[in-house]
Amino acid sequence: MPSALSNLVKKEIKEMLRDPKILLGMVLMPLIVFPIMGAAINMSTSTIEKSMRTATLAVMKLDHGPMADQLIASFKALNVSLLEIQASPINEAIRNLEKTNITTLIVIPPGFTENLTSGLKGELDVYAILRSISLSEGAKASAANAPISIYEKTLVYQAVKQAFPDRKPENVLDPIAVKSYVMFRGRLLNISPEFLQGIFMSQSFGFPMVIMLLLISAMQIAATSISIEKEEKTLETLLTLPVRRLSILAGKLAGSIVVAAAGAIAAIIGVNFYAASIFSFAPAGSVDLAELGLSLSPLAYFLLGVTMFVTIISALALAICIAVFSENVREAQSLIGPFSLIVILPSLVLMFADIDVLPFYFQIILYLMPYTHSILASKAAFIGDYITMLRSIACISLFTIVVLYIAAKIFTTEKVITARLTLRKPKIRQ
Amino acid sequence: MENAIEIINLHKRFGEVKALDGLSFTVRPGEIYGLIGPNGAGKTTALRILATLIKPSAGSARIFGLDVEKNPNDVRRIISYLPEEAGAYKNLSGLEYLEFMAAFYFANKEEAQESILEAARISGLGKRLKDKVKTYSKGMTRRLLIARALMMKPRLAILDEPTSGLDIIHAHHIRRVIQNYVEKHGVTVMLSSHNMLEVEFLCTRVALINRGRILIEGTPDEIKSRYGVDNLEEAFMEATGSA
Ligand SMILES: Nc1ncnc2c1ncn2[C@@H]1O[C@H](COP(=O)(O)OP(=O)(O)OP(=O)(O)O)[C@@H](O)[C@H]1O
Ligand SMILES: [Mg+2]
Repeated sequence: MPSALSNLVKKEIKEMLRDPKILLGMVLMPLIVFPIMGAAINMSTSTIEKSMRTATLAVMKLDHGPMADQLIASFKALNVSLLEIQASPINEAIRNLEKTNITTLIVIPPGFTENLTSGLKGELDVYAILRSISLSEGAKASAANAPISIYEKTLVYQAVKQAFPDRKPENVLDPIAVKSYVMFRGRLLNISPEFLQGIFMSQSFGFPMVIMLLLISAMQIAATSISIEKEEKTLETLLTLPVRRLSILAGKLAGSIVVAAAGAIAAIIGVNFYAASIFSFAPAGSVDLAELGLSLSPLAYFLLGVTMFVTIISALALAICIAVFSENVREAQSLIGPFSLIVILPSLVLMFADIDVLPFYFQIILYLMPYTHSILASKAAFIGDYITMLRSIACISLFTIVVLYIAAKIFTTEKVITARLTLRKPKIRQ
Repeated sequence: MENAIEIINLHKRFGEVKALDGLSFTVRPGEIYGLIGPNGAGKTTALRILATLIKPSAGSARIFGLDVEKNPNDVRRIISYLPEEAGAYKNLSGLEYLEFMAAFYFANKEEAQESILEAARISGLGKRLKDKVKTYSKGMTRRLLIARALMMKPRLAILDEPTSGLDIIHAHHIRRVIQNYVEKHGVTVMLSSHNMLEVEFLCTRVALINRGRILIEGTPDEIKSRYGVDNLEEAFMEATGSA
């Protein structure tokens, strides 16, 4: 009776989406946490920038030559707030500065001008006055570096100009110009390889991440929904109703998929916010990925959809098989924990490396983990490698069928009621 | 007429534990048959086998001629089972729970609605049916579940400690409902209980079981006179050797 199935699915969705734990943890959290994380990182970087801008420098001029005045003038031209202080012993000067909000003291020792004009290195002493240990305070400590190096560059340009009056200093200093082209899939692209690599990176990073999030939340949801039924004994009632056992299993799977999908969409939206606020320099916008042949073809989309579908089904069925051995929600969560590893490990590894660069034995271990194939398929989608996709889909489908078979077996026998993990407690010695 | 329940030499092992050890009895249609016995006697195990949840290790159980092991799907169509200490879906309202359950039995909307109204009456929950189950007390949840078990007028209702956790008034109400269902709708009831007053009041016949076997079986009066005692509680103590 298909109406029995839809009745079951409706109940699953209602029951789960109304559960504050699931709703908060799976759907609302990613929507809230990721943007907040992004905002926090944004805020702290902007405070660093701000504190660098507001950092005030003090300068003690002990050299009376023109170069010392030129240095100070160039600082002022950069709009750096600068306080000139009287010549005094260093310890005393710093003690006085500690009372102010000045973070850096630049001392121009005697002989600065003489050294520079006679071809020696001009020396500067820079004292950072730190009041705490934090990122923004550390940034203040190096506040003098930028203006000093700008002045340094001016000196170099002047010297080059004097030596080669008829040439452009840039050409002397940086004599070779490189223009980049990339040949990609038989097309000549006017972009740098670094840029292309950036796109690949964001894809090789993004997909394993999304798959990991999706699978883990789906497994948690399915495990929770089974273990709640065991804990409350609603499963016993359900199993005595005139409904096929497989419909009950299918109802659980379908319900979990819907909730997990809601969670995944929330996670993706959240991560997008997060990424947008962190990688505000994200390159993709300016270049049309379709133009580069980097967007997904309809076939790749379809195969990717198939991959995701079988992957999720297997994860849900796996979680159900495991959760059946628990007697309450907490036990189910802790049983699921170790199994998340077969999702997390391939995702993490493949985020940072391609499988064929890994040591042979490690490759074998990864290939034995079913979810490795899901990630390989998703990566293959972007380079249009349909053979790899089909092979991966075959692997993951095989695993899915096995797990579904086990889940169905458990559901059609009394195991679904009686199965439990008897962890023998260590006997207490008398 | 065929028997409502026919259990022959039923055995059930859980690893080392013999939960049932040669249990046999029959229940005729229209009876209210009670299983009593100490904790761990095997009452729940017997009821779970009848409810098609677990399979016997040996022996057979038939409900209205249907073997629970061979025809579980047919059995499920004519029984309802109330587990001991069960809950309902916490995030559904009582009414949604009843609607969910009714949909499995009635394709026809009106019939379903009628049975839901009936269940609302049995449960005595009134307006609270609109509230989520998680706001219910233990006894309120129990009443909802009993209403669920009776609303589709099963041929056999299997009730594991139906009135446990209910106050005197509600327990009394539920007993009346059960009796009423047997008389009016021809439902047969198989229940377990630790409440000897209830068993004496309700059951047409009683089996006292211990360690998975029947110690004594008969009407409450037969059992009392067999031991020469005034009430079932004393008979229970005598039979289990605890007196
Ligand atoms: N799933 C199971 N796994 C292992 N042993 C079990 C299982 N279910 C029941 N048992 C054992 O079977 C025996 C009978 O248990 P059962 O639940 O049938 O007793 P009961 O008569 O219902 O007791 P109570 O009055 O406490 O409800 C007990 O020893 C119990 O430990
Ligand atoms: Mg019991």
